[in-house]
Amino acid sequence: MHNTKLPFTIEKRGDHICGRFSAMASPCEILVDSTDTNLAKKLTKMAYTETKRIENKYSRYQNNNLMFQINQSNNRPVAIDAETAKLLTFADTCYQISDGLFDITSGVLRKVWKFDGSDNLPKQEQVTALLPFLGWQRVKYTSESITLPVGFELDFGGIGKEYAVDCVAKTCQKIAAQVSVLVNFGGDIQVTQARKDHPYWQVGIEDPSNTSGGIAMVNIASGGLATSGDANRYLLKNGVRYGHVLNPKTGYPIQQAPRSVTVAAQQCIQSGLLATLALLQGQNAEHFLQQQNCKHWCFW
Amino acid sequence: MQLKQNNNVSAILAAASCALLGTPVQAQDKGDEWQFDTAILYYGETDRVQLVEGVFNANKDFGDEHYFNGKLVIDTLTGASASGAVAQSGVQTFTRPSGNDSYTVEGGETPLDDTFRDTRVQASGQWTQPLAENYRISAGLQASKEYDYLSIVGNGSLDMDLNQKNTTLSAGVSYAFDSIDPVGGRPVDFSSMVIDNGQFDSTEAYQQAFDATRLQGSEQKDTIDLLFGVTQVINRRMLMQFNYSLSMSDGYHNDPYKVLSIVDQQGLTQDIVHESRPTERTKHSVYWQTKYALDQGVMDFSYRFATDDWEIDSHTIDTRFRYNLSETSYIQPHIRYYQQNEAEFYNPFLSQGTPLPEHASADYRLGKMTAITLGLKYGMQLENGNELAFRLEYYQQTPENAGFEQPGTLADEDLYPALKAVIAQVSYSF
Repeated sequence: MHNTKLPFTIEKRGDHICGRFSAMASPCEILVDSTDTNLAKKLTKMAYTETKRIENKYSRYQNNNLMFQINQSNNRPVAIDAETAKLLTFADTCYQISDGLFDITSGVLRKVWKFDGSDNLPKQEQVTALLPFLGWQRVKYTSESITLPVGFELDFGGIGKEYAVDCVAKTCQKIAAQVSVLVNFGGDIQVTQARKDHPYWQVGIEDPSNTSGGIAMVNIASGGLATSGDANRYLLKNGVRYGHVLNPKTGYPIQQAPRSVTVAAQQCIQSGLLATLALLQGQNAEHFLQQQNCKHWCFW
Repeated sequence: MQLKQNNNVSAILAAASCALLGTPVQAQDKGDEWQFDTAILYYGETDRVQLVEGVFNANKDFGDEHYFNGKLVIDTLTGASASGAVAQSGVQTFTRPSGNDSYTVEGGETPLDDTFRDTRVQASGQWTQPLAENYRISAGLQASKEYDYLSIVGNGSLDMDLNQKNTTLSAGVSYAFDSIDPVGGRPVDFSSMVIDNGQFDSTEAYQQAFDATRLQGSEQKDTIDLLFGVTQVINRRMLMQFNYSLSMSDGYHNDPYKVLSIVDQQGLTQDIVHESRPTERTKHSVYWQTKYALDQGVMDFSYRFATDDWEIDSHTIDTRFRYNLSETSYIQPHIRYYQQNEAEFYNPFLSQGTPLPEHASADYRLGKMTAITLGLKYGMQLENGNELAFRLEYYQQTPENAGFEQPGTLADEDLYPALKAVIAQVSYSF
């Protein structure tokens, strides 16, 4: 007998069902406000398949996917599909509204910045040497193709997981139009609609204020929630803390930014971007979020 | 470093997110499409009026809390309704409202006018939108047409949310214009019903006598309603609403098809006269509603007290309990109790030899009564997400004698027959 082990688990939890799997280097959770195990299985299977599809397409750690092809293109146009074009348009909007601070080409800086908690800051010339190899304004793209200058790299790390959460939530809404589903990929969350008999979902997210990996409980009724920043990724030198959010214009970490920012908005990806844009504001993060009139939590 | 157009970032991101995900911009405003509700209702009184009604209701959410509601109701009424005349031991003859024909009522039977037949069409539209933060306005128009009746109503209301939307204050006003042009003309108040018992020399003579009791042309009524309400969220599960409303009407209030018997001391009918009601009415009512959400359903309780200058006081208690049988089906029992006392000018009959009062009506709807409704509704969600519901209700109206002595043989007649009806409804929402 051939026994295929499912890549996900299904667990009944009283009035709802939890489906779990691992993808995009995160624990992924699907909470279904129903006791219908078959429905939960169907949704979790779809979520797993969809998440893996997105991961396999855009991960920059794989060498046989579209992202690899783009990043190795050396100034030759690479054909892209509609989904990729939409993601690029979204990234372009983020670049425009952040005045160039949110830049999906800034991933190259990670070649010299390793945020491992040590005091190993890169040398100024190492950083300066990389600056010619980033800048979204130098990337040409249309709805059909993208041309990346030599030495450039794209990194969807800042939007990929949130995008996957929203795609999965959208399909859940289609499959189970009357059932509340919570999609949680490592703290990036989307709820499809309000629950039937409970006012909200309660989920544990990694407590951003707690460096020892504690769990914070969050109540969420509907919409999206996402966190940017990571209390565990930093460098410390001469008493100065260097957070892992980099300014693509200087090549250095944004100074005096909160350690992490959590934002609630209509969509997960919108929450994620608001949180990231807030971090990029440094010490003005909180003021920026207040101006956006969105529910938020900053941890300094 | 500052983001460009700081205040706009959120809105731009929202639009960009929606474009990326292919969701409509107001992705959270559910029901972006038209939502339709349709229903067929049957109302049948034992041996009396029967009504079949079709309702077509359409809602559209235009986003940003802009809503439109449109409704079309068509109903057809057939059967007989109590005319107001009292039962007698012998056969009685009555002229039809048109004057063109007559009908007889057997001894011991409550006189019913069996020419009751009408089709009503009603159309309405309502628009609701925010006015400023925490303010909503709503305005609507409704027109209703029957063979002899036209009604046009305009309404407007303003809601204000306070206390983090836990409290809502409402104020509303509506104006109704009604016009009636009864079959055969409007009877002159207290004019005697002209009955052809062979006393007329010719048809012309009869017609002349009939016409003398009638006024031609339509009559109007203007009604203004004011409403003030408070809705309060008590806690996560409970909601309460208090309303006060004032209704003032001016104009023709008579029911042109209702009559009164004038009886002698032996209880024998000597004459049949048309009713007469005041031309003004002012009504106050207070309403209290509580909704309570349980784990398995919703409890809904309401009480209304109304009082008017016709001296009708009424109490209504209405309770519904929606119980969810499963995620896709529910049952909802319904109990309603209603009680009113009689109008100051209500008389089941008039006595010969006593002076005519200023106004009088024997319309059972203005008399002392209690009424009870018992119902059950079952609703289910179909596989395609649409809802199908069935409602079955029993209604019984029990008129009571408000202290009128029945002289002579009238003592043997039932002047306050109970009215029983069933209501059946099928509704479908898609």
